[in-house]
Amino acid sequence: MKMQRALTRWLLALGALHGTVVCAGFFAPYDPAVQDRKYPYLPPMRVHLVDTQGHLHARPFVYQPKLRVGSFDEYEEDITDSRPVKFLPSGDYYRLFGFLSCRRYLLGTDAYGRDQLSRLLFGGQVSLVAGLLGAGITLFIGLCIGAVAGYFGGWRDTLLMRLAELFMALPWLYLLFAIRAFLPLAVSPLKAFFLIIVVIGTVGWARPARLVRGVVLSAKERDFVRAARGFGATNGYLLRRHILPETSSVLLTQAAILIPQYVLAEIGFGVPEPVPSWGNLLSSLQQYSVLISHWWMYLPAVAIVPFFLGYLGLASSLHERGAAYKIESRILGNLT
Amino acid sequence: MKVEATIGKNMQPLLRVENLVKRYAKRSLAGTPEEFLALDGVCLTVFPGTTLAVVGESGSGKSTLAACLACLESPTAGSIWFEGREIAKLEERASRQIRPQIQVIFQDPASSLNPRWRVMEVLAEPLILQRKFTREEIDRRISSLLERVGLSPDIVERSPTELSGGQRQRLAIARALALEPKLLILDEALSALDCSVQAQIANLLVELQGSLGMTYLFITHDLAMAAQLADEIAVMDRGRIVEQGRAQKILKQPEQETTRQLLAAVPRLTLAPPLLEQ
Amino acid sequence: MRYLLRRLGHALLLLAGVSVLTFLFTALAPGTYFDEMRMNPQIAPETIAALRAQYGLDKPLPLRYVSWLSSLVHGEMGFSFAYNSPVAPLLLVRAGNTLLLTITSTLLAWAIALPLGTWSAERMGRVPDRLLSWGTAMLLVIPDLALALGLLVLAVRSGWFPTGGMASVGFETLSPFNKLRDVALHMILPVTALVLSTLPLLFRHVRAAIADILDAPFLLAALGHGIPKRTLLYRYALPAAANPLISLFGFSIGMLLSGSLLIEVVMSWPGLGPLLLEAILARDLYVVIGGILFSTFFLVGGNLFADLLLYWADPRIRTESNAQ
Repeated sequence: MKMQRALTRWLLALGALHGTVVCAGFFAPYDPAVQDRKYPYLPPMRVHLVDTQGHLHARPFVYQPKLRVGSFDEYEEDITDSRPVKFLPSGDYYRLFGFLSCRRYLLGTDAYGRDQLSRLLFGGQVSLVAGLLGAGITLFIGLCIGAVAGYFGGWRDTLLMRLAELFMALPWLYLLFAIRAFLPLAVSPLKAFFLIIVVIGTVGWARPARLVRGVVLSAKERDFVRAARGFGATNGYLLRRHILPETSSVLLTQAAILIPQYVLAEIGFGVPEPVPSWGNLLSSLQQYSVLISHWWMYLPAVAIVPFFLGYLGLASSLHERGAAYKIESRILGNLT
Repeated sequence: MKVEATIGKNMQPLLRVENLVKRYAKRSLAGTPEEFLALDGVCLTVFPGTTLAVVGESGSGKSTLAACLACLESPTAGSIWFEGREIAKLEERASRQIRPQIQVIFQDPASSLNPRWRVMEVLAEPLILQRKFTREEIDRRISSLLERVGLSPDIVERSPTELSGGQRQRLAIARALALEPKLLILDEALSALDCSVQAQIANLLVELQGSLGMTYLFITHDLAMAAQLADEIAVMDRGRIVEQGRAQKILKQPEQETTRQLLAAVPRLTLAPPLLEQ
Repeated sequence: MRYLLRRLGHALLLLAGVSVLTFLFTALAPGTYFDEMRMNPQIAPETIAALRAQYGLDKPLPLRYVSWLSSLVHGEMGFSFAYNSPVAPLLLVRAGNTLLLTITSTLLAWAIALPLGTWSAERMGRVPDRLLSWGTAMLLVIPDLALALGLLVLAVRSGWFPTGGMASVGFETLSPFNKLRDVALHMILPVTALVLSTLPLLFRHVRAAIADILDAPFLLAALGHGIPKRTLLYRYALPAAANPLISLFGFSIGMLLSGSLLIEVVMSWPGLGPLLLEAILARDLYVVIGGILFSTFFLVGGNLFADLLLYWADPRIRTESNAQ
């Protein structure tokens, strides 16, 4: 029971995180592509409650940034110009209202003056979809191949498992870079990106297939499967009603592991501009000189951590649940 | 109380097995294919309405025999006659037709029932697979089956993991009876149960045989149990039937060495008064 | 014995398969190294054609593969267009650099993970274990890129460590001892990044494997015999838990050449990874094939090594394969 509660907690946490990303249109203050050339590389604005005269304000506010005299990339607060932080004001051009914004940038801006917070939220949509899509493809292929190999055995099994070994031995990372480099430039950036994700998803089937095959092999020998055969069940029925449900725990655990992996892979390949994605946000950091002078560009990396933590927790509790389920039935099986 | 079956002279055997051979090919890690001979020319006969016990040690091939007889595996050679029909070399579709008539009760009640299902689904499965019953018919049959094996009807919503071992075997028996089989193969069906529960289930089986005219093939390593329940005993050793005959005769005048060894291994106490009480 | 020979044959077949696939893939990809040159109006097309013929690029695919294979037997791996030198020595040098990094960090990571994981498994569920688990979970969850960058920033801000590359300017003029010191200094950051990124997973696996074994009845029986806990842990439990750990170790070995790509790129370490990336983008055919084959060789070799080790260490596997 404790396991169930832990699982629910992780699911809720992940759900909330994903919810904010899914509703990026609601939460993000600005259009992630809109550039504000007045404020390139703006550090996050500080929210104040007490002004310079020592008065306490009911509403939090920020000071309008202005360029420091004598420099062209350092900002300081203009204490003569304070703007209140508006919650739920009308946004730029959205159908919905923005949340927690006042035309000011809470996570800073990047080189083109684009709001990092909005880019983070919208980029999350792209990255998470990529992760889910890639993981879905991998698991689907892995399930099919693993089920065929495990259930039918014989030459099919040998062939498929040899193939799996080959796939696991190839260093796909390099080959994927090659694919990306060789992509014809005429393809639209988003399409190119999804092509990469599909390819990544397609080549990763080997490990899930092995796991599924193991489960199918042992499920095939279970007495309730033999009993069902005794009632005149066909292969299709057995697979559908008895064997494949056994694979659910393996698949779920693999999903929880694969999704963050594929999101990370996206970070390696990124999406061509101007579409925001977490990969893009982090790729500008590859020259660490950017990081030195503009520390807030690191924040997206920090923001990603809760998501991965959620997936890790989910994977752990799923794994425990799968293991406990077997123990449970074994303990009960010894009672008469 | 064992039902003394009368075997008329002209009665046809329900099941006749002739020279059944089953070879398994094992692919060793070193790459040389090796063979394992599980059944080495098994011959036996079972008459309708009787109980034949097949007794042997572990590894003598008893479970393989059960699988072949139930059409769950194909024998390598030999023939199996069921109600006069040769069923050993059937192809898959024809096999599927025959299988419902020969049902198996397995040794481990925990693994023969899908722990993720509820009792209702477990019992309905064979009926649904036959594709000729309506939902109401299925419900009716399920209640009558539960009643027949002595289970309360309100367990239908429970999961098999919540039942005791004895209840689970009753459930397995109920499920096997759903298709009204002619032959019931009990593959060590009582071995995993506690002694008192064994007696109860054995009682149930005897009672069912009396009321339904079932034929049992009772596989066990326990000669004492076989003595209590069977009309005839066949002793199996390393894939062959070394001796078959009426139960009393086997026990009093064993001819083969294997039989004598099995007999010697039985603790004296259990052979004396009958285990089964009303 | 036959089991091992079979595994060896297996591995060789796999390598052959990979070489064919990689060759096919890179050769079939659009564009060659000389495309850039073709864009340059100053270079005559005849020159380009001559260059292509010199490198054998105009011959049909199977022929090229065979000639490459035959040169492989002689210990050569083709010619790099970009570097204008044979591939094999280039690869060896770069692979050596990578191995310097990865071997150090792998040994370090295992040296930390084994005792730490065992210690944690002993105290499963209690405060020290939970702290460690959460700590490693946090490490696991931070993307490698972020870790590497964080370390770099630390280096720049504090000025303690060099911020990239493998050697300082003027390396050749240093005395042998100072050369060693210089390289070691440059190694500290990448090794730390690598260890930090691989340690959490290793730790979790060790902990899980030991915890599994600690539940086993035979340990309880041994405890009942009065065997002290320390001996129990290291001479009874650890060997029994060795099976999954050996496979993991084989995997670690397999990743020796491929696991450090990101860190090498970010920290400008002159290893195999950056070389391969460059070569891929420049379509430097033989470098790509050679590099991929190298990596795969380690991967397959690592698995084979793990199999051998398992055969030697786990009597169950020996019995099963000898019984045939």
